[in-house]
Amino acid sequence: MNWSTIFSMGTLMNTINTSTIVILAALGCLMTDQAGMMNIGIDGMMTVGAFAAVMGSWLCDSWVMGLVFALASGLLFGLFYGVFVIRFRSDEFIIGVALNIFAVALTTFILRSIPGQTGSFHPQTGRVVKLPSLHLGVLGGTNINVSIMIPIAWALVIIAWIFLYKTPEGFWLHASGEHPESLRSMGRSPEKMKYIASVICGLMCSLSGAYLSLGYLSTFTENMSASRGYVAVACVIFGRSNPPLVFLATLLFGFIDAAGQRMQGIVDPTLTATFPYIGTILMMVLLALRQAGRRRRAARA
Amino acid sequence: MKRRERMEYLLSLLVSVLLAFLLGGIIMAATGHSPLDGYGALFTGAFGNQRAIGNTLYKSFQLCMTGLATAVASQGGIFNVGGEGQMYLGALASCWLGAVLSGHSPFLVIPLCLLAAIIAGALYALIPALLKIKLHISEVITTILMNSIAIYFCTYMANGPLKTSEKGVSQGTASLDKVFQFSKLIKGSNLTESVFLIAIISVLVWYLMSRTTTGYRMKLTGQNQRFAVFAGLNASTLGILGMLISGAMCGMLGMFECFGLQTRFKPDFSNEFYFDGMLVAMIMRYRPLGTILMSFFFGILKIGAITMQSKTGISSELILIVQSIIIFFMAAEEGILQNLRRRRAARMAQTVITKGGGEG
Repeated sequence: MNWSTIFSMGTLMNTINTSTIVILAALGCLMTDQAGMMNIGIDGMMTVGAFAAVMGSWLCDSWVMGLVFALASGLLFGLFYGVFVIRFRSDEFIIGVALNIFAVALTTFILRSIPGQTGSFHPQTGRVVKLPSLHLGVLGGTNINVSIMIPIAWALVIIAWIFLYKTPEGFWLHASGEHPESLRSMGRSPEKMKYIASVICGLMCSLSGAYLSLGYLSTFTENMSASRGYVAVACVIFGRSNPPLVFLATLLFGFIDAAGQRMQGIVDPTLTATFPYIGTILMMVLLALRQAGRRRRAARA
Repeated sequence: MKRRERMEYLLSLLVSVLLAFLLGGIIMAATGHSPLDGYGALFTGAFGNQRAIGNTLYKSFQLCMTGLATAVASQGGIFNVGGEGQMYLGALASCWLGAVLSGHSPFLVIPLCLLAAIIAGALYALIPALLKIKLHISEVITTILMNSIAIYFCTYMANGPLKTSEKGVSQGTASLDKVFQFSKLIKGSNLTESVFLIAIISVLVWYLMSRTTTGYRMKLTGQNQRFAVFAGLNASTLGILGMLISGAMCGMLGMFECFGLQTRFKPDFSNEFYFDGMLVAMIMRYRPLGTILMSFFFGILKIGAITMQSKTGISSELILIVQSIIIFFMAAEEGILQNLRRRRAARMAQTVITKGGGEG
């Protein structure tokens, strides 16, 4: 096995690219988690965002409109989730799972309603404009091109951290999940904070979807999120809803994914495709074991 | 009170289904199709001829199996989203064993293959169950990720180590002997002898869930684990039991699919069959009898949708949209009813105040 192909510039770029998909969705998920709702539906929100982005980019021949379409879909689905979970007090897992199935069915249905399109979107007229990327020069013989969504995602990690831990609004958001009644006694509505969290979640997931379909790839394929939303949920649990820690978890996931892709010459690609999923489950098991060990030590003390 | 609650629930279900179909019709109209033509094609597609009826019946039995698999795990408090993976492993294990034992008596081979499917499915369901109970890791995430792992793994096996050497077969394991395969009950349709096995299994699972103490204890555990533990029940064993049965059922269904319709394990034998049944169980709130009855309704829709797609060009995904809309409504039902009741109470209070409580 040639280790230098695994630890190379290409792997690093792949790691960053894949982790960006996950961190954007994870930032949304951790907002709802902080507000006391575990949003399993982010996978579906990503799918819808990816679809809306491609449609916007194709219809208006501009990536800006792609982003606008995606964000609009994110706003809509964030509100949708909020209305069901907060107002109607539905089971968040049932709504989440149903939302994922609904999102795949809806996008596939609309895609197939466009004449001649099945499987993936490949227009006969017009084009899908990708998100622009920044050229950072040449390193080791490879051109280093970075999609603009990558620095945006990194900035959002910092903004999310500042918002959650350094502003009163972030504190209220956290309180709406942990101690809703104390927040109410302060004269603030926990429901309002929860709505804000689910709308932010929808917006972030739609950005993740837009990056997936307009940055990482340049088309929409049916069921294109490929359970990455669930990986994002796992990263949120692993990073205990703290943006920088969650970011590290997504980088780890991205590395496993990239290393798997690099090993395709040695191991069958259908097998390497399982690595990120196995890696994610192992990450969760390790974290749970550590927590169980800590609890046991605490009990003994 | 109990009776009234059930009536209220059935009424909500009816309203949700009608509303979802209305929305489905609106979607059809919005994409430039006539809803009447669409639903008409759907109905003839499900009942038009003998073959269609056979397909509809088979689909209903399949939904019944996967729906009950979801329901039995949920009754024990674990949400099994991973049936698809368990089905793949059960199918691969049984087809592999069936091909290895080629030439032996079917009376020996079929029970052994069934056992292999049960073990493969149940063991794969045991992993997330143990992770949930021992380490409190959310089963929704582990099971859905394990679906992808199982599907990729089985695809790899069927295209790699276990690939058949027969000429002209692009992918899949070695073919099963003709005597091992389930024969068709209606020629040309998907209705195979496996439906008798599915019927027996469904009755057994229904009996376990609603007529035995074990089923009742599972229900207590699923509803309120802390209470179940205080009541002296072993909550973890009951949760694991539900998942084992669920995984075994999925594994068996994988075998029925391949032994009945495919002649071998093929990586594309399922088109997310498990999720269709899971949605049925979710709509019926994991009640076994309701899930069985609702399976027939959705069997009609699923098979009819295929004809609808070929005749009118409306994608069959529409049925999945309708199904998920019903779930949204049913999940919100209690909240909506509460809001309505509160509003009615407020209005009544208002009238009482304005009229001075005369008739109160």
